[in-house]
Amino acid sequence: MKVLLDAERLCRNFGGLKAVNNVTFQVVEGEIFGLIGPNGAGKTTLFNLMTGLTPVSSGTLSYQGERLTGLPPHRIAEKGIGRTFQNIRLFKGLSALDNIKVAQHVRTSSGLWGGFFCTPSSRAEEKRVDEKAWELLKLIGLADRAGELAENFSYGDQRRLEIGRALALDPRVLLLDEPAAGMNSAEKRALTEFIRAIREQFKLTVLLIEHHVPLVMNLCDRIAVLNFGELIAVGNPAEVQKDPAVIEAYLGAE
Amino acid sequence: MTLAQFLQNLLNGISIGSVYAIFALGYTLVFSILGIINFAHGAVFTLGAYFTYTLAVGQFGINGLLSGLNLDLKVPFALSLLIGAILAGLVGVLLERLAFKPLRTRGADSLLALVSSLGVALVIVNAIQYLVGAEIYTFPSQVYGDIKPAMMFEVSGQPVVIRTVQVIIFAVCMVILSILGYLISFTRLGKALQAVAENPTTASLLGISVDKIILATFFMSGFLGGLAGTLVGTSFGIAGPYFGVTYGLKGLAVIVLGGLGSIPGAVMGGIVIGLAEAFVPPDYSAYKEAVAFAFLFIVLLVRPQGLLGRTHIQKV
Repeated sequence: MKVLLDAERLCRNFGGLKAVNNVTFQVVEGEIFGLIGPNGAGKTTLFNLMTGLTPVSSGTLSYQGERLTGLPPHRIAEKGIGRTFQNIRLFKGLSALDNIKVAQHVRTSSGLWGGFFCTPSSRAEEKRVDEKAWELLKLIGLADRAGELAENFSYGDQRRLEIGRALALDPRVLLLDEPAAGMNSAEKRALTEFIRAIREQFKLTVLLIEHHVPLVMNLCDRIAVLNFGELIAVGNPAEVQKDPAVIEAYLGAE
Repeated sequence: MTLAQFLQNLLNGISIGSVYAIFALGYTLVFSILGIINFAHGAVFTLGAYFTYTLAVGQFGINGLLSGLNLDLKVPFALSLLIGAILAGLVGVLLERLAFKPLRTRGADSLLALVSSLGVALVIVNAIQYLVGAEIYTFPSQVYGDIKPAMMFEVSGQPVVIRTVQVIIFAVCMVILSILGYLISFTRLGKALQAVAENPTTASLLGISVDKIILATFFMSGFLGGLAGTLVGTSFGIAGPYFGVTYGLKGLAVIVLGGLGSIPGAVMGGIVIGLAEAFVPPDYSAYKEAVAFAFLFIVLLVRPQGLLGRTHIQKV
């Protein structure tokens, strides 16, 4: 088993608040790793540290032995770490297709300026970008609505589109922040299957923040529990469920 | 108003309006990415005109450090126009690095960026005056090559004059607008630009270097500003270092009229203000700026979001 992500004593303070405090964990290639904890435990802050949105106060995070802490978000994204948000952040004024295409240019050789001059190679590349975007749209079941603006999609469709956009980065690691929020139980079951399927198809490692405990227990290979910014347990679902510290954090001490 | 007068006004209005449009787009691009107004845009406009003049004519007057200098470069006009605009674009890039980025990275209020850009504008204007004085420079009509300066038509017995400069201005503006439209709507850079305009944080998480996009935006903005400066300069002469100030204000009127941050709005606003000015009767032509702004007020009373601006509906 290969360690893909290695968080070493990560800390982030906001004034006097220790939002993430001395958190150390490792994520193994190919696993679905759950992050749970009460509200305000620091789960989203941890995602922000991992994607470079929030600088760490101290500690290091490395990806395949390479240090990520200190890199700007777009460099971390280039390395193959994609994410979605708890509150969906699509480009509302762009079509579904364009939302996906925007994320693809880091994987093209001509980068940002490609397609400006119509050279044969840039055209061929543009065609590949286009084909891949359509493939992703089919995968998330929105191919027939490719031209519609993202803001016109239903909540569930927007969530899937956001995952599709993150996949367009060609990520090795996908961070999903509460992907099942606001879904009914049938949709949650479908989402569970979807996450499993994309892990197989894209050989992903998935980190997942989720409040819905049955979903996490069912889907995740390992789970980390955060409380008040500290990691109180890491292990497989059965171990974590029995951990006294976890029970205390969720139900209060006796 | 006779038909001939009407046609003449229409022609004048559309020609100058198309320059206002590309100039105002320079404001719009920066505004849509950073949410700030770049007050040095008028100074970049002025600089662009001087750059082109230096390349195409290069003959300086009796004041300033470069007085009496005759470079006589005689670069062909089309090439001078392009190089002048590219230089103005590079000034835009410099402006971003010196006046905007340091404030932005320190999280300063956007009002400070406004003041800092105003400061840069004054420095540029004074530097121009120091170098070439406050004289009026005009482009001799030979710079375009061997073409007639104007054509005349008769409409129901009365003359309509089409100046060659007007045709050149209009053609250049249409070409630039088409290229810009293509760039923004159909290229990867354009998509990245739209993404950054909507949400820089999310764009960065998708691997887009927001910093590079901002630089590209300032380059395009400066390019458009410099180009507009040259075009106005060729049509009316470069009326001294302060000549961009009025146009700077007019550009603001254009983007507010069209709707802040709206690209088609800036184009439409430019043409509308150009036409409004052109239709001011000759007796009152000294007041045509006032007419343009009065027009702006009236439109804003009816449509506070501007002609093509989107109303902000707050979703709860």
